[in-house]
Amino acid sequence: MWNKIKSWLDVRYGTNAIIQKQIQEQILDYRIPKNTNIFYTLGFITVIAFCIQAFTGILLLLYYIPHPDHAFRSVQDIMTKVPYGWLFREMHTVGSNLMITVLLLHMVTVFLMGNYKRPRELTWLVGGLALIVTMTFGYSGHLLPWSQLSYWSTTVVTSMPTAFPIVGDTIAHILRGGDHITGTTLSRFFELHIAILPLLFLTLMGIHLFLIYRTGISATPFGKQDTESRPLTEYTRKAYPDGYPYYPDFFRKQMYMTMAYFAVMFFIITFFPALFFPPEANIAADPFKTPHEIRPAWYLIAQYETLRLIPNKFIGIALQLFLAVLFLFWPFLDTQAEKNLMKRPVLRGVFVFLLAAWVVLLFWGRT
Amino acid sequence: MRKAILMLTIMFALPAAVHAGYRQDFENEFLSKTWAGFQMEENLCISCHASEKMKPQFRGITEAWQSSWHAQNNVSCENCHGGDPRDAALAMSPQRGFIGVPAYKDVAEFCGKCHLGILAIFRESGHGKSLLSGSVSSSCVTAIKAGKKAPNCVTCHGSHNIQKASISIINEQLCSQCHSYERAKVMKQALFLTEEKFSRIEQRLLELKRESINVDTEEKNLFSTQEEFRTLFHTQDVNLVKSRTDEFSAKLDQIDKNIQTTYQELRFRKNMSGFLMLSFSCMGIVIFLISRRNE
Repeated sequence: MWNKIKSWLDVRYGTNAIIQKQIQEQILDYRIPKNTNIFYTLGFITVIAFCIQAFTGILLLLYYIPHPDHAFRSVQDIMTKVPYGWLFREMHTVGSNLMITVLLLHMVTVFLMGNYKRPRELTWLVGGLALIVTMTFGYSGHLLPWSQLSYWSTTVVTSMPTAFPIVGDTIAHILRGGDHITGTTLSRFFELHIAILPLLFLTLMGIHLFLIYRTGISATPFGKQDTESRPLTEYTRKAYPDGYPYYPDFFRKQMYMTMAYFAVMFFIITFFPALFFPPEANIAADPFKTPHEIRPAWYLIAQYETLRLIPNKFIGIALQLFLAVLFLFWPFLDTQAEKNLMKRPVLRGVFVFLLAAWVVLLFWGRT
Repeated sequence: MRKAILMLTIMFALPAAVHAGYRQDFENEFLSKTWAGFQMEENLCISCHASEKMKPQFRGITEAWQSSWHAQNNVSCENCHGGDPRDAALAMSPQRGFIGVPAYKDVAEFCGKCHLGILAIFRESGHGKSLLSGSVSSSCVTAIKAGKKAPNCVTCHGSHNIQKASISIINEQLCSQCHSYERAKVMKQALFLTEEKFSRIEQRLLELKRESINVDTEEKNLFSTQEEFRTLFHTQDVNLVKSRTDEFSAKLDQIDKNIQTTYQELRFRKNMSGFLMLSFSCMGIVIFLISRRNE
């Protein structure tokens, strides 16, 4: 049957030749530098994580009702009445947090290995934008269950732009579709979550992969010197004739890391099923009853705490925007050839400080 | 690019110097903006009673209410006392249904606006008859002669710091203020086993909630059964309580059965996700070993 289909397509469109050529070039002949480590697989894991999110999200859509009167009930029904609904919701929720974690880890390791440097500036920029889109995925999805947790953490998150003078209130107003979190906000976040963000993410992923393909993988784990000519005058794709083949060598690495990703996901679902569902997640949203502690999701806590800690609110929001811009455009500013972070004490110090500050703010905000 | 970053820094830094604000201001604004919902609207009863203007004996009322079962269930000042907590001019106007402090004899009716079932039974009880119609049973005579008033709701439950009712309300210290504890003790014994079941089920529901399971239906069933059962106590008729205990016990068993089913479902979930975790771990290890062998 399969052969018949292949032959049917081949005699009409010559598909066999194209597929064989692509497999040969992209998989069998594609060579990976010998010094790659497991952190090189994190980008692939992010794509797998996105696929899991898309698959489980589509299944959840079968029963979810994006209306303030029904959203909470429909999610509870998914958890209790729909066969295996609990499994797919747990996978979706745990997966969303893991996806952000993996992407953060990917960015940190790329930074540590100096792989963001010329000629990969755009690859880093697109990856950074993908991280922002993924976080937006996270908090737009946070509202959809319409629980107390959803309602109030979205209230906090959508109030953060109000710290910005003049346009802050307008931004918050656009996000909420009014002054309060209402059905309009739910519709907007739902649309963002299932229609706009997936398209954006896929586009960014496409560009990211295209850029990686065109520049070639960077072979500079932990401090190998940059060998690219300066200034760059002509395009050359980084190739590794002495490297090992993508398939099966590197592919196996990607596969066992994928299995590890699934294992971690099911470990959390088995032993900490309520990790991302505090008691407020099981109470329907009530605009008249403010929970004792309102805080956003963990990946936005550091930003929220910064806003609370810095006395001048404009400085608070400006500092964050400044850091975000700096983070996205860092490869354009850091033009030094040295990729080994251990040989750059100032940059290392700033990096460790920022990472430590993020961790401290995260735990401070959660306690 | 460096120039652009420098410009960006100046762009942020300059307005920041002009836009001077302080943490307190920010937090106040942050938590009182309109997005926080209508509940942030000022409740005049609370702000006035908590202020320095209020006589000291009335100042503790808001604090007592805030830690009460009523507060936890969104029952606010105006729900009992009437009035309008959003309108300073008419907050305590009879036009807005303000009642204020009810007369001692009217307290049962006052609470009975919401606790209808209990009010009906209380009226027919010894306590209720003594209070409402002045008919005094033999056990009350001594107390009335000693200048005691017949009990109303507040006598046992308190007024503003009302806590969730439990069997511990029936105690020697409270009951023996008016009469001997003997009859109340028999009542407490009759209630004991069923009350114990209530608290056990409550505990299990709490555990399920911690496991992130929605137990709304069971909680509602438990609440209505509990209310119905406790209504019986207000008759002060031990025989009635004893005769209906089986009926309530059956209802509780049904709730308990549903909880058991939920626990079984949780065990199934744990086993299934545990199985998936082990499967993926094993696959990961196998691929890792193959990968090592071929390196």
